[in-house]
Order: sequence, then structure tokens, then C-alpha cells
Amino acid sequence: MMTAQPVPQTKPTTKYRSQFRIYVDIMKVIQREQNEAKPTRILYGANLSHDRLIKYLSELKALDVIQETGSEEKVYHLTQKGIEFMNNFRKVEMFAEAFGFKI
Amino acid sequence: MEFIAFVIAMAVGFQARKSYTLIRERTLLYLSTCFILIGAGLLVESLADLTVLLNRFHRGFLFLSGVGYTIDFFAQALAYCILIFAYLKQTRAWSSQLTAAIPILFFEHNAFSELILVFLLAYIAAQTAINYSVSKTTNSLLVFGAFASLAIAHVLFLFFTIEPIFFPLAHIAQLFGFLLLLQMLLRVNKAQ
Repeated sequence: MMTAQPVPQTKPTTKYRSQFRIYVDIMKVIQREQNEAKPTRILYGANLSHDRLIKYLSELKALDVIQETGSEEKVYHLTQKGIEFMNNFRKVEMFAEAFGFKI
Repeated sequence: MEFIAFVIAMAVGFQARKSYTLIRERTLLYLSTCFILIGAGLLVESLADLTVLLNRFHRGFLFLSGVGYTIDFFAQALAYCILIFAYLKQTRAWSSQLTAAIPILFFEHNAFSELILVFLLAYIAAQTAINYSVSKTTNSLLVFGAFASLAIAHVLFLFFTIEPIFFPLAHIAQLFGFLLLLQMLLRVNKAQ
């Protein structure tokens, strides 16, 4: 007899997924900070080590979803492409959550 | 009515497919496959019924109705199994439970086939009810309402074998279920 069970809030993911999730977490922190986040805020907000933060920030810059400004104290912003991606991601999240799937 | 349901099922399927293309999450691919299968089954059945109707229930065309129903049944059964698989996979308790679900797929009689669909849909409705109790969002309530309506529709299809009045009621319940899914889809796409 099958029994329905609540969908867990977190789940282990593949390497690609965890990388993707980190990308999204970084972009969410920038979005939360009114699209103007310093590296320290991102580091704590996305729960990353300094080395990994540098790596992911440069990857996101290469993807053209975030941009860096400031010379002495760096500040990160979402680009138009990044904002559009986050809007689409929110819709995907809502759609999946409606069916009880966590992404 | 089935054609409207087909359009809505395809819209949900393509939304899931679009979401999968964006983030490559496999559960969305399962969801997409599920609704595209449901849509395909509904299309085949509605086209078969339409052919029978256009030929004024000519004896030579009556078998098409049965063919359409059979294809629709297998498409729906497979679709709901895929959705249950996605839920069980996410709860990581699927292997033994899925094995228990497989042998019941091979009934062909209408009453039994409806019973199978009722069973599958009841499971999905229970799962979506639990999801709603956890998330408390309107969208998850709409999805629960949709699957509950589809389960009720198949219960009514089951009763149709006893009393013909249940046939239009079953179609109304089915359409209502798909309209709830459409409302959820519109809400998601309106969100900023």
C-alpha cells in the first residue's frame, strides 16, 4: 500500500545542481540588497568561503548575469539578463512549488 | 470539453518543459512528460469521438471510440505513474512502493481501468493535499483541487457504467480540474 509523504525541504543534488543553486543564492543575495551587494554580504548571504565566492562571482560575470563596479571596494549588481533570469526563476520556483517540488 | 482539457494539459506540459529548459531540474521533465501524455490521450480520445459523431454513429466507426478510450487510458495511467514516480523519487522511498504499483497497469476492462485511474489520482491528490498543508499557498491549493476533481471525475466515470447521468457530470468534474490547473498557470505567469 502506497502512502503519501511530505516532500522534504532540502535534498542532495548533483554537482551541476549544487553549482546552479549557488549561482541562484548569490543572485538572490544581490537582489535582496537592492541590486547593490558588497562581497562580504554575498559571502555570508550565500554561505560561501572566500575562494569559492571569487570563483562563482567570476563565473557569473562571464555569464553576463552580474556586473562589478567600484575600484577599491567592489560592488556587485545584477545585469538586465540577470534580472530577467531571476524573474523567470521565480516563476519556475512557484510553478514547481505548486506541485510540491522543491528546486 | 475534452478538447479544452487537452489544451490546458498541453499548456501545463509546455510550461513545465520551459521550466526544465531553464534550470534542468529532472522533476520538471517528469511533470512535463506527464501533462503532455495526458494531453495527447485526451486529444486522441476527443478526435476518435468526433469521428464517430461526424459519421453519425455509423457501425463501421464505433470501434474508434473504444480505441480512443484505450489509448487515453494508457496515456493517463502512464502519466500518473510518472508523476507518482517523481513524488516518490523526491521523498526517496520509491523503489519498493513503485514495484507495488506496476502490476495493476494491465487491466483493460473499463470499470477496472477507471478504478486504476481513481487509485493513481487518489494518491496524487493526497500528495498534493500534504504539499498544500505544508506550503499553504494558493497555487498548491489549486493543484490539489485539480487532482481531487480529476479523481472525482474518474469515480463518476466508474459510476457511469451503472447510470448514464454520471457521464456528463464526470466530464464537468474533469474540465473543472483542468480549469483549476489553468488558473494556477495564469497566476504563475502573472507573478512578478
